[in-house]
Amino acid sequence: MIDLVQNTIDGVMIGSSYGLLALGFTLIFGVMRRLDLAYGPSIMIGGYFGTVLYLYYGAGPLAVASAVVLGAVIAGIYVERLCFAPMKAGAAIASMVSSFAIWMQLEQAAILVLPRHTYPFPPLATVAPLEFGPFLVRVDHLIMLVCALALAAAVHLALYHTRFGLALRAIIGSPVAAHLVGINVRTAVLLTFAGASAVGGAAGFLVLAVDQQVTPMFGMWATLKGLIAMMIGGLGSVPGAVVGGLLLGIVEANSQWYFGPQIRDLVAYVVLFAFLVVRPRGLLGRAPEPAMPPKA
Amino acid sequence: MDDYLIGVLSNIGVISFVALSAYLLLLTGEISFGQQAFFAIGAYAAGIATALWGWSLAAALVWGAAVSGGAALLVGVPTLRLHGLYFAIATLAFAEMVRILFELFRYQISIDGELIGPNGTDGFRNIRYIFDHNIDAFQFLLLIYSLLAAAMLGLLLLERSRLGVIFRMIGQDETLAELQGIPVARRKVLAAGIAGTLAGIGGGLYAHLTTYVEPRIFDIMLGVHSLAYGLIGGLGTAFGPLLGVLIDIGLLESIRALAGYRMIIFGGLVALLLIVRPRGLLDEMVVHKIGRGWRRVSLWARRSSLKPRGNSA
Repeated sequence: MIDLVQNTIDGVMIGSSYGLLALGFTLIFGVMRRLDLAYGPSIMIGGYFGTVLYLYYGAGPLAVASAVVLGAVIAGIYVERLCFAPMKAGAAIASMVSSFAIWMQLEQAAILVLPRHTYPFPPLATVAPLEFGPFLVRVDHLIMLVCALALAAAVHLALYHTRFGLALRAIIGSPVAAHLVGINVRTAVLLTFAGASAVGGAAGFLVLAVDQQVTPMFGMWATLKGLIAMMIGGLGSVPGAVVGGLLLGIVEANSQWYFGPQIRDLVAYVVLFAFLVVRPRGLLGRAPEPAMPPKA
Repeated sequence: MDDYLIGVLSNIGVISFVALSAYLLLLTGEISFGQQAFFAIGAYAAGIATALWGWSLAAALVWGAAVSGGAALLVGVPTLRLHGLYFAIATLAFAEMVRILFELFRYQISIDGELIGPNGTDGFRNIRYIFDHNIDAFQFLLLIYSLLAAAMLGLLLLERSRLGVIFRMIGQDETLAELQGIPVARRKVLAAGIAGTLAGIGGGLYAHLTTYVEPRIFDIMLGVHSLAYGLIGGLGTAFGPLLGVLIDIGLLESIRALAGYRMIIFGGLVALLLIVRPRGLLDEMVVHKIGRGWRRVSLWARRSSLKPRGNSA
């Protein structure tokens, strides 16, 4: 029982970062209706910005965090300009494959800059874990959870209590109608990519700081975790992304503890598959449209 | 031919099967990130059949194709109710489940005092059929390409058949196809089954080509690559995915001077290409134009040969 609770605590902490990753993903998918496979790799580029700063200039956590976010935003804008902005309507598959091609490019670029398989990343906090009765909570996990919840709340506020958020929700509802009422859709999409990459970059910084290492594989990891959490929570739902991330974290932490890392990954995919087949709308999403309207 | 060239060509041939598999589903309008799973199932099934059960290569390839085709049918039933992104992610989840299951899969038999068979993450070594039967690399290359040619012939005939037209129609507009009385769900499951079989044949060949498979090979990278091949080469004809494989493996992987920058160049080129040609190099329009040009040439040739010589004066 103590194990179960302890695992669940750890799962919630880790899951908060999954939730953040899913949040950025869901924003991009919401406005574009297209999958950005290069989302994780953009964050990985941010991670490499941070590591370079840390390795060569000995930068502190705050400078590294800003570098990660900045790098992710730059890479995100690059992806949007190349894979999404110039695509004609209805070329959704082309956008997706193109973002995959850019994923390969970003990964190779990272390897060219820092050719070893792993590099150190500055830790968030190196103090001893806090004790609550029989339970232990790592301080960096706690920081991660607090930052993740604060960021999710900020995104929620931005979406539902600002003029820009209103414009974004209009675009999510119908890009054509949004354009007709005078919203500059192209600019809004670019800003969304930048914002979503910044959220992803923050999530990436938190995860990398907890892991204390960065590898080129981080891009794939971030894309997959974000994708799974987003689909479990419900496509296009902000609270869904967070809840999906937390659920994924809890499931993973427990299955890892009881069955080991391979079963952990297996269980994550089984949960995803089961959700898609039984309840494709996820936990909090709207029912999917009968068919994806613009098919390439 | 030197060994390196044979190796590259064999690789191109084998990977073409997965690319064709993803292409067939793209025709019905569905994106699959998961065709590598059927490639993996075919590879393991065929490898087990020759290395552990002592079957002949032909029987093993048929067995591998049948198992992966059957698996594709089974997975197709629940997943093909989903559309677009939902289907794509479901195939991804399935493929990753298969990969992890192969990481846990242990089935070893002692043959001549040596343990042979799949051993989890360590993979499946010593699929030595082509060495034991003195098949050299060139002969195996011929085998790969004759099977590929047969598969291509089948696909080209399929595209001219009623079923092929139905597949494309479903891909263009599912509702319209349903209204025309086409049993969309059943036809899509059929497409998934054929696609799984194709990938399974490729997998069986792959296992015997490399003599060694491990779960790590069959990760999402292979799946997305095979999807990309169809889109780069073109969705207008089954030659499209082949062209895609040729461009990626043939051109870029073989030019060693590009090593280290290959993905930077390839990734950028693909992104730019897809802006100009969102349905690939050989898209429907190009294929149509080539077909029309060909018919004109053959018509002209027939007329000029029919015309009696020297009659114009």
